Order: sequence, then structure tokens, then C-alpha cells
Amino acid sequence: MSSSTNLLPTLESLVYSLVPASRNDEPLKNELVAHCQEILTSRIGQSHEPDIGHLADLVKRQLLQSSPSGTASLKFTNLLSRLLDQPVLSRKQASIQFLHSLALSRQPSTLVPFLPSLAPPPPARASPLQSPLEKPPLPKSTAKSKAELLREYREQSGRPHLPEHLLLRDTLYLLQGISGKYVQLSSQSDSNQQEHRLEFVDNPRYVISVPTKTLIHRLSEVGYLYSRVDSFVRAREGSSGVGMIEQSLCHHLQTKLTEYYRLIAVLESQMPSVNSSGDANAIDLREQETGLTLRRLDVWINEWRLRMRMMSVCVEGARDSQGGALVNLIHSYTDNGDPFVRKFTDQLLEEVSKPFFATLHKWLFSGELYDPFNEFFVSMDPGLAHVQYMHPSSLTGNINQLANDGFVSPDQDDPRNRRGGFAIWEAKYRFQQDMLPMFVGEAFGRKIFSTGKSLNFIRYSCHDSDWVVTREKMSNTGGSLKYSDIAGLERSIDAAYSTASQRLFDVFLEKFKLLDHLSALKNYMMLGQGDFADQLMIALGPSLSRPANTLFRHNLTATLETAIRSSNAQSDPTDVLRRLDARMLEYSHGEIGWDVFTLEYKVDAPIDTVIDPDAMIKYLKLFNHLWQMKRIEGTLSRGWMRVAGGARTTFLRLPDLEHSWHKIRIAMAEMIHVIKQLQSYCHLEVIECSWKNLVEFLNKREGDLDAMIDAHRTYLDRLVKKILLLSPKAGREESVMNQVKDLFAIVLQFQDSVENFYNFCLTESTRRDRKLDSDRGLYTGPEDPDSSLVDNLPRLLRPVNDYGSQFSEKVQSLVAALQTHPDLDCRFLGVRLNFTEYYRGKQQKEKEKEKLERAETATPR
Amino acid sequence: MSSKESDRFISTQKTLDILYEMSQLLNAQLDKETLTTCVRMIESGVNPEALAAVIQELRRENSALAGRAPASAAPQR
Repeated sequence: MSSSTNLLPTLESLVYSLVPASRNDEPLKNELVAHCQEILTSRIGQSHEPDIGHLADLVKRQLLQSSPSGTASLKFTNLLSRLLDQPVLSRKQASIQFLHSLALSRQPSTLVPFLPSLAPPPPARASPLQSPLEKPPLPKSTAKSKAELLREYREQSGRPHLPEHLLLRDTLYLLQGISGKYVQLSSQSDSNQQEHRLEFVDNPRYVISVPTKTLIHRLSEVGYLYSRVDSFVRAREGSSGVGMIEQSLCHHLQTKLTEYYRLIAVLESQMPSVNSSGDANAIDLREQETGLTLRRLDVWINEWRLRMRMMSVCVEGARDSQGGALVNLIHSYTDNGDPFVRKFTDQLLEEVSKPFFATLHKWLFSGELYDPFNEFFVSMDPGLAHVQYMHPSSLTGNINQLANDGFVSPDQDDPRNRRGGFAIWEAKYRFQQDMLPMFVGEAFGRKIFSTGKSLNFIRYSCHDSDWVVTREKMSNTGGSLKYSDIAGLERSIDAAYSTASQRLFDVFLEKFKLLDHLSALKNYMMLGQGDFADQLMIALGPSLSRPANTLFRHNLTATLETAIRSSNAQSDPTDVLRRLDARMLEYSHGEIGWDVFTLEYKVDAPIDTVIDPDAMIKYLKLFNHLWQMKRIEGTLSRGWMRVAGGARTTFLRLPDLEHSWHKIRIAMAEMIHVIKQLQSYCHLEVIECSWKNLVEFLNKREGDLDAMIDAHRTYLDRLVKKILLLSPKAGREESVMNQVKDLFAIVLQFQDSVENFYNFCLTESTRRDRKLDSDRGLYTGPEDPDSSLVDNLPRLLRPVNDYGSQFSEKVQSLVAALQTHPDLDCRFLGVRLNFTEYYRGKQQKEKEKEKLERAETATPR
Repeated sequence: MSSKESDRFISTQKTLDILYEMSQLLNAQLDKETLTTCVRMIESGVNPEALAAVIQELRRENSALAGRAPASAAPQR
């Protein structure tokens, strides 16, 4: 030390002040100074970190021990803070350290817990001088301690402790799951569970102390865990049908185990060598310092204990779960505060998730599910695995067959239809929640699922595999998917999702002309194309009034053809017209053509993914209702034409019936009003508005096929709900609808009775003509007997009036029902029907009338 | 200049006082002079623990001498 020369005078003064005797004794002084210098240059207390807080803590603890009241430590804190405020000293901490060490040495009892932990004991060779310092600072008591007594007893009884190096070797064996000489592993099959325990071999020559046993127990935990992991890996290596994720887990575990073997090998090389005599004392001192002991082994193995535990947990988890669930299980440990556990699991996950990401990549970019061990979170329905959608050629065959069968029930071809695009889309692949790795997240999982499904669909159901293949090639140039790059993963998922969905939209709208089909459905099934509907009505009307069993399908289709030719519908694409068909529903006895006729629009895969069979049924329902409405409208307008035209020609000669006709015209006008309102409500407010929404959605091109299906479904549901005036009340959904149907029936009956009356009027008028002619001397025919007018008039007029008033009443209750309808549009229909408050006025009028009558009966008194 | 000097002196004095009080508290049994010497040594870079060992050693030596020299023969522990 260079500063030692400078220190000499100070050291001398220190010696003088502490050993007064040396002032007169030069050699003593010199010896002391030399000795002091020796100590100062020694290695005492060189391994300190400058941490004043820790030091202060130590001092305080010491003070608390000496004076438990705490005043001393408080005082010390105070002093310390004052000292720290002083600017003079540069090494305050050292000063305090000095005081602390000095104080410690004066309190030998507290020396044991603190000092050894701070400073290693001075090596024996450090000071060759046999100085008093080298003596243990503990005062040697004359009495023997209890431990010594025990040891002596043991020595006397001839059973000394088993030398540690023997135990050490056994422990190293234990770490590899092998029984040693003195300590053995034993496993007992206790009921179902295997119980593992350590057995210490009873040796008459030696004993193993309890603390050592505990230490060995602790160490052997690692050995036990090792043997479990090892047996798992071995079992998996041998067996077949192990999932890829599990295989990769095994691989990772195997590499970890190899590291472990390396550690054990290193440890073994550190084992103290024993000379042939096997005497423990023969191990030289040096070995004792650097060699392996049980305690050191514990330290070495400590990290591995944690690692082994993690591995064993993974192994345990791998027993009952596989694939994504296993990844999930491992992932659940990544959210750990312990950086060691986190790092370990991250590493493990990176390895283990590789096959998962390979599958994901294939699924995400080519829509192929390559998952031989069912580990992916998308699973395929094995029943549908090889079902490709029906090609149009097979569909035409179907139609032919249907045509040959004549009036088969439509249900017969349903099961086969259900195998169409919709079924493939819905059921071919399933999303498995529990297999989804948590780091992907549910929303992203859905996206991945949908993307792959879309690609698969494009490829196999839309026959557009070229595009998919190109895409796949393009995606391969990008980076691969990895666990450690979740952000990149999410980005590529998003990109793949949007391209796939975009493509699917394109395919549907452009290649398969979804929009054309939808608008055809609107135009034909919902009678949106007025001229076509009118033509069809005119052409079919007469034949539909006949009983259903006299109708034939070929007649219907021919009529349909005529209607198409004679209307604007002929300019529609042939692909659309080809699908349009007329047929009869299943009929029972007594039904007429009107009840069973229906138009049909056939869709095939892949369009039937969107327009599924259920949707078709709804379209049929709508058609039925709208067609009925159209029929009523047609009937009424024909009737009106006759009545209005008749007013000029026929009734002029029957002035006495003018009043009745006037009333009929009023009733008819009311009916026409109601029907017109209903029609305009259906077509304008419901169909066109919903259509607009649907078209807007399709033009936006957002979302995937599921979104498209959903949009169509909501569109259709809205139509059904509003056109059929369904109310959400359970059990009474169709009450309003039934009222409307009643109205239709009344109109038809009214129309019939009006027809009768009209015919009667016609004959009456002819009769009168004849009479006039004969009066003038002309003979135009045999004269009928008079008097029929008076007899027949009430019989004919009564039903007319009855139906008229019934209609009014029904409309009134319908309006009342609509006014309380939960649906706003339906309520609005009520308002339209009752725009002039005609019906409410009527109600009030009736009430007033009743009042008046009551008043009249009351006044005579 | 002189005021600075005196300031420095005062604060040195204060610091020493505090340290002395601490040593009292910790029962280090050092007089002020020895303490000053020790602190100076520490400031000049001596390892504190080694210094503590030195003090200890000297004390032991002293008591050994004291036990040996006088005829009263204080019994050695």
C-alpha cells in the first residue's frame, strides 16, 4: 500500500495513545506498528458495498438489541442525519463502518449473526504471525456445549456421522433419479397414486443427522421431478400419435435435460476426491474449501429446482390437454412476476408454439387445415371433410329429376340442398374455444378462423384456387409468424383477414352476381316488378280459381313463361330467369289454385351460403302474402271498373237502385284505400328501405362472409316481421296478420256478392228494356213475370251490406291493434290507414249515437 | 478567506462531536483524540474494518502488557 508510509506517524500516535507502555519501549512500539500495518494491508473487510442505508440498519438493529427501548437507535438516526449534513468528511460511511465494527467487537454475542455474513473469515494463510486475532473471538467457555457432548457420546457409542462425501455421491445419484447406497428412492403403489419417498438405509456403523436428512430430501425433489420429466419424454418418444405441439415440447424438454446432465457432470467433477483409505479426514484442506458439499450442491441446484418444477407442471398439463390447450397452459405461466419463470416460459412457448404457428400460417394464408393431431383451434367436421359443393351440372340434373316427378313435395330435395354452400360454410369448420391460445385473443381467433374459412371457401366452393395460391406465394415472402412477435402476428392476421374478406366479397358480387340474385328475389318473389306481377296475375287468375287438383305444373310454367315474355322481365339475364320457377305447394282437398300457387327462385352453391334454405322459406312466405294482396287488389280494381263503368250504361235504367250502388261504391272505395295503403306500406316503407340498407352494406364491402350472411338475414327478418305485421308477443305473433287475412276474405266475399247483385241488376235492366220494347210494340223476347225485384232485392243486398260493414269493423279493430303495435313502422301503417281519423271518428259517432238514443229513451218521461 | 477557514474549522469540530457522540452511543470506548486520529486515517483511505481490527489488537496488547508488567497481576481472561 503506497499510503502506508504516510500513515506511519498517525499509526504511531495511535499506538502511543492506546498502549501507553510503548512510549518508553521503542522495540515494542516498532513491533506494534509493524503488526498494525500488517493488519491494515490484509484483506479484512474489503468486500463491502458502499451502502449507508444497509449499514445504518445494521447499527440500529445492534442498538435495539442492546437497549430494546429504542431510544438509542432513535438517537443514532438523529446523529446520522446530522452527520450527513456536515460537509467536511468525504467518507462518512467508512467512519460509521469503523465505529460499527469496533462496537461489534466489544459485543461478542452479536458477532455471530452479522459479521460472517458480511466478511469472509480471514484466510488462515493471511497472517503468518500467530496473532491473537486468529483466535476465535468467541470466548472459549470452560464447559462443553451440548453439541460437543452429543458428539462425544456418539463417538463413544461408535456411530459417527456418515462422512459427507459418501452422502454427496448418493445425492448426485438421487439427482438423476437413481438410488444410492445409503439413500434410496422407493416408490410404493398406494391405491391409484404412486407415492414416492426417500429411504435412508439403516447402517449400524453410521448415523445420518436429521438436518442432513432434510437437506437431502430437498435435493432429492429435483431428482424426483427429473425422473418424471424424463419418463414423460421417453414415453412420448416411443409412442405414436403424439401431437406436434407435444413433440416440440418434448424436444424442448430434452434440450433442457441435456443442460441438466451437463450441470451434473460438472458437479461430479467437483466432488472431493477420496483417497483409497476412504477416510474423510484425508481430504485435504484445500478441497474442503473449493470442493462440493451438500450445502453448495443445494445452491447449485436451486435454479434447476424451479426449472424442473416448471417442466414437471408442463408435463403434468400435457397429460390431459393437448394442442392449443397445452400452449394455453404454458402461456398462463408467462404472466409471472418472477423474471426467471417468465423467461423460462417464454422460451418454452417460443419452441412449443412453432408447430402451432406453422399450422396457423397454412390456415391463414392458404385456407388449408393441416392438423393431423387435432391441435389447432379450428377443427373440421369429419362428415363434411370431403363434401365439395354441388356443381351446377349436378343441380340441373336435380331439376330434371324434379320435373319428372311432377308434384313432389319440396321437402324431398331439402336434405340434399342442405349439403350446399351454407352447410359447408357453417359446419365444415368449427371454432374451438378451449384450444385457442390466449396470446392470440378471442377476437383475433375469430378473425383467423374467419380468414381461413373464407380462403377455404373461395378455394373449394367458389373454384378460385388460383387466387389463393398466388396469395399464398406472396405471403411466403413475408416474415414467418412467431410467438415473440405478437404485434407482427396481429398485423399479418389483420392484413390476411381484410384481403380474404375483400376477395370473398368480390367473388360473391362479381363472379356469382349476388346482387343480381337478390334483386331478382326482390322483383319476382316480392312482386317488386309491377308489370310482371300484373301480367302473371292476368294470365294466371282464371286458372287459379279452379280447384288445386285440376292445375298442372306444366301449365303453370308455361303461363310463367308467357308473363315473362310479355313483361319487362324478359330483359333480365337468362341466368336469373332460368332459376325462376312456378310450382304448387302441397295441397289438401278443397283448396283452390290461389291457395297453393307459388313462385320459386332456385339458388345453388355457393350463393346458397347467403340465401340459405331457411331464407328461401321466408321468401316463399312473403310471396304468399304479397301475392294474396295482389290478388285482392286485382279483384277490387276489376270490380271497381265494372261498377264505375256500369254507372253509365246499366244503372241509368234503374234509378231506384242508384242509392244501393252508391253505398256499394263507398264500401268499395274504402276497401281499395285499405289495400292500397297496405301495398304501399309493404313495398315502399318496408322492402325498399330495407333493400337500401342491404345494398349500402354490400357496397361498403366490410366484414367477412358471416357479416354478409348476417346482413342478408337481418334484411329478410325485417321484411318478414314488418310485412307480416308480426308482433313479438309470444303466442300472439300472428294476431294482426290473421286480421288482415280476414279482411282479405271479406273483400273476396263482398266482391262475390257485388257480382251477384250486378248480374241481377243486369237482368233487371234487360227485363225493363224488354218491357219498354214491348210497350213500344217490339218483341225482343218472352216477357218475364214482374215482381222479382221486390222479392230478390233484400236477399241480394243484405250480404253486400253485411260484408261492407264487417269490413269496416274489421279495419277499425285492425287500426286499433296497429296503434298499439310495438313496431314503429307497423304503428305508422295504422296512422296511414286512419289518416283522416275516419275510423276513430266512426267510433266516436257510434258512441254519440248511443248517447243520443239513451237520451231519447230518457226524454219521453 | 479567514472566515472560510474558521467555518471549516467549526464544521470539522461539529462533525467530530457528532462522531464522538456516536461512538459513545455504540460504546466504542474511544477518546476524542484517538477518534480524530482514526477519522483522519479513514479519510486518507484506510479500510475501516481493518482499522477497527488494529484498534482491537492494540487494546488487547495493552491489556496484556498491563497484566504482565505490574506485580498486581490482573488475571487474564
